[in-house]
Amino acid sequence: MNAVTPMRWYTAWWNRLFFWIAHKRPATTAGLITLSLIHYARWVIVMPNQFPRLSPQQPQEEVKYAYMLFFSNFNGSWNQYVDSFSSAIPAGLNLFWFGSIKYPRSVPMLPFHRYITSNQVWTDYYYNAYPMATSNDIKSARRVKLALRDFMGEVKAASPDVFLQKYNSLLINLQHDISQMGPNPVVSLSASAVERNLNKEGVARKAMSA
Amino acid sequence: MANQSGNAYALTMLCPILGGVPPDAPEGMAGQTYTARLRNVLQTLHMNEESPMAQVPNTYLCRFWVLSDVPYQGKPAFLEHLKSDYLVFSSNFHGELEPYLEGMWNALKDGVLAILWHCVGHETVRDAASFIAYVKKCQVTTTFFFNGSTDEPLAEQLKNLYLKQEFSKFAFENQGKSGQELQEAFRGFIQRTDPENLAGPTWKPGAYHLDRVDAEPETAAGAGSK
Repeated sequence: MNAVTPMRWYTAWWNRLFFWIAHKRPATTAGLITLSLIHYARWVIVMPNQFPRLSPQQPQEEVKYAYMLFFSNFNGSWNQYVDSFSSAIPAGLNLFWFGSIKYPRSVPMLPFHRYITSNQVWTDYYYNAYPMATSNDIKSARRVKLALRDFMGEVKAASPDVFLQKYNSLLINLQHDISQMGPNPVVSLSASAVERNLNKEGVARKAMSA
Repeated sequence: MANQSGNAYALTMLCPILGGVPPDAPEGMAGQTYTARLRNVLQTLHMNEESPMAQVPNTYLCRFWVLSDVPYQGKPAFLEHLKSDYLVFSSNFHGELEPYLEGMWNALKDGVLAILWHCVGHETVRDAASFIAYVKKCQVTTTFFFNGSTDEPLAEQLKNLYLKQEFSKFAFENQGKSGQELQEAFRGFIQRTDPENLAGPTWKPGAYHLDRVDAEPETAAGAGSK
């Protein structure tokens, strides 16, 4: 998701302060971590004089507002994402979008949805190195790898009985982290359409290479 | 303020797009602006494991879009417009900026030039060093970067995902076995999955289907090395 929202240049300094505090005190983003839908997100405030100008022939921008660009890489559907945010961390959203012109606040949901929709810009090209994995999968995969590494060291010279005992402990410790991934359910009509197009593209490529 | 969170880097760049219509056009693109031509290039790139970005080491997630104007919020807000369109490239990756861009140049030189051809100042980009200099001119500093995932090298993330999937299958398939049978099966699992070998077997960067995800060492190059 990409959203672009204007704010007065002087309120942008307040936002920068809030973000600076959030950066210095990671506990302030505990709500975001609990939501666990997000791989990576960023807020970028571009002040009126910060639009890159690479040549004298390029016209100088004359905007008065600062613009906050928000980018989020999340798993799940748009509605799941926006509603989770609005329900789980309404105060945090209000702080991050403080000063954005006509920001309606995160609750109630419908004006918030309208605000996001009207300020959203569609992505022309998106790449994800692990489109099948959620953010939680990445984190749990790391725990699986570390636990397996320890287990391998512990059972190197173990008898079958000791092996079984330690193996069972391993499974108990990893019970929240081991799960087999499968094909996604259809989360939206657009996701379904993308899937159909990809399949068609795959068939066409196979035919071309045959 | 915060382009980095641990070892993860958030690159945001706004490249001004040339105004007007390019002098020559391929069939079907006559009269199209630089912005329209650029959108066409971006929207026809291959996806998933065939994406050009899958060849760029350590790219977690990235996107391209065009900022063609700023949104108007209605009265009493000012109505204002941008004088240029901007190509927005945002990438989340492991490591430092310069080695990442060098890796991108080495993997995708022609693709990079094909995209930047639509942008102001593209003629200054000739090699890795000038590409890095160009990106830095277009870079805008991230105000706040939130990392809800991990910041390991991509090759480690992909190997971990591979191991998670394979070990989950192993646990499911070996329920109720004796200690001896299980120990033997586990030896086979370790031999097959080679947990410390990041080069493979592992997952292919960008793979979207479980039946196409496993990569042997020679096809896992895009994940980059540690």
